[in-house]
Amino acid sequence: MVIIFGIAAYLALLIQTAVPLWFPFRALIPNLIIILTVDLGLRHHGALAALIAFALGYATDSMSGTTIGMNAFLTTGIFLLTYEVSSRLLVTNALLGAIAVFFAVVIAGLGAIIILSGRGAPSVINSAMPTLTLQALISAIVAPIVFALMAGSKRIVGLPDRLERE
Amino acid sequence: MKGTLLWRNRVGFTSALLMILSLHLISSGVKPGDIALRPAGMTLSIMAPVESAMNNFAQGSTGFVRNYFDLVNVRRENERLKAELAAVKSDQARLIELETENHHLTDLLDLKDVLGGNSIAANVIGSDANSFARTLTIGQGSSSGVRAGMPVLSFQGVVGKVIVVSPHAARVLIIDDHNSALDAFDQRTRTRGIVAGVVDDGITMKYVERSEDVRPGDTIVTSGLDGIFPRGLLVGSIKSVMGEGPGMFLNVSITPAVDFRSLEQVLVITEMPEQPEHTQSASKG
Repeated sequence: MVIIFGIAAYLALLIQTAVPLWFPFRALIPNLIIILTVDLGLRHHGALAALIAFALGYATDSMSGTTIGMNAFLTTGIFLLTYEVSSRLLVTNALLGAIAVFFAVVIAGLGAIIILSGRGAPSVINSAMPTLTLQALISAIVAPIVFALMAGSKRIVGLPDRLERE
Repeated sequence: MKGTLLWRNRVGFTSALLMILSLHLISSGVKPGDIALRPAGMTLSIMAPVESAMNNFAQGSTGFVRNYFDLVNVRRENERLKAELAAVKSDQARLIELETENHHLTDLLDLKDVLGGNSIAANVIGSDANSFARTLTIGQGSSSGVRAGMPVLSFQGVVGKVIVVSPHAARVLIIDDHNSALDAFDQRTRTRGIVAGVVDDGITMKYVERSEDVRPGDTIVTSGLDGIFPRGLLVGSIKSVMGEGPGMFLNVSITPAVDFRSLEQVLVITEMPEQPEHTQSASKG
């Protein structure tokens, strides 16, 4: 599981750092790290999954800004939220996953703005909300594809691709 | 062990511990050389070669895709001619690209001559992984003499400073990031202030007193007093000045001189040029 998510995180970070150089509409680039975090929260219910979620965020911190720990905090928090939601649901399907991704991207964006801007956050949230909503929507659309790719990869190595309770 | 409270809630406890660790990292801040930055350097080392390759591939594939669409509906008897034409077009596009790159590099060389000191040119190979932070990855690292804290420029003006270095790549904090700050002044009135980024909202000049004479259109240049950027480099021009509301200072919004989104090559100052003795004259306080 660590290797699969490691490779997926590597590819996700490559896309998120390289694509904005050729494609100017940053809001249209899905937040793949958050999609992977939601996949973890929905389908992997163990302490190792929490560690992987933290590592996903820490890897993002390594390639983003100067506030080390911010993305690690957000991805771990999102993992915990999706884990709690998933624990209370009877079914976990692609639609629920996409909805979870939508809200997770919005929460991660709002969290980043609050951590970075502090008291100035309300005005930044007002101006950034349309872009954030658009990115959340794009991420939610892309999410089922990523979930399917992850499920396929897990099947190849013999990991359960559905809800796994340790 | 199984069945205990700790085991039943292990996911929650692990997540909570990790979130506390993250909060500690956020609140303690990270300085160059800290252990917490080591994974950043390692990640940069792993990512940089593929980022660079992807960048080169993207530039090449743009021409390829264009040519493919040009040829897709052409009759068989015209294919050879069309292919030749496409090849010529491709060459032409490549030549134009080379010419543009040549212009950029010539401009950087001119800038290098004007600045004095030592500097090296670097290609931009990656951007920030988060929408709300502003950093770039460049294709030169410690093996070329790049160190954390070195200023980075383009021929248009100030870009930022190096924050993380790996052997063959480095990450640059752009001046429109909220954590960036540089000492600058208004070229017309010599009014000093701190140019800093605002989350998702460009750059602003802080600590300009209400009594100061600053106007939209004024040019802002570096003062050299922060010890990072040489004096007199173009930062941008004042977009708007607002004095409404409480507070001692004006709200000065700045349009950066550099278009950070279209940066392709930058110049890293590895050895600062000698500062003129009258640097202090820029200071008003």
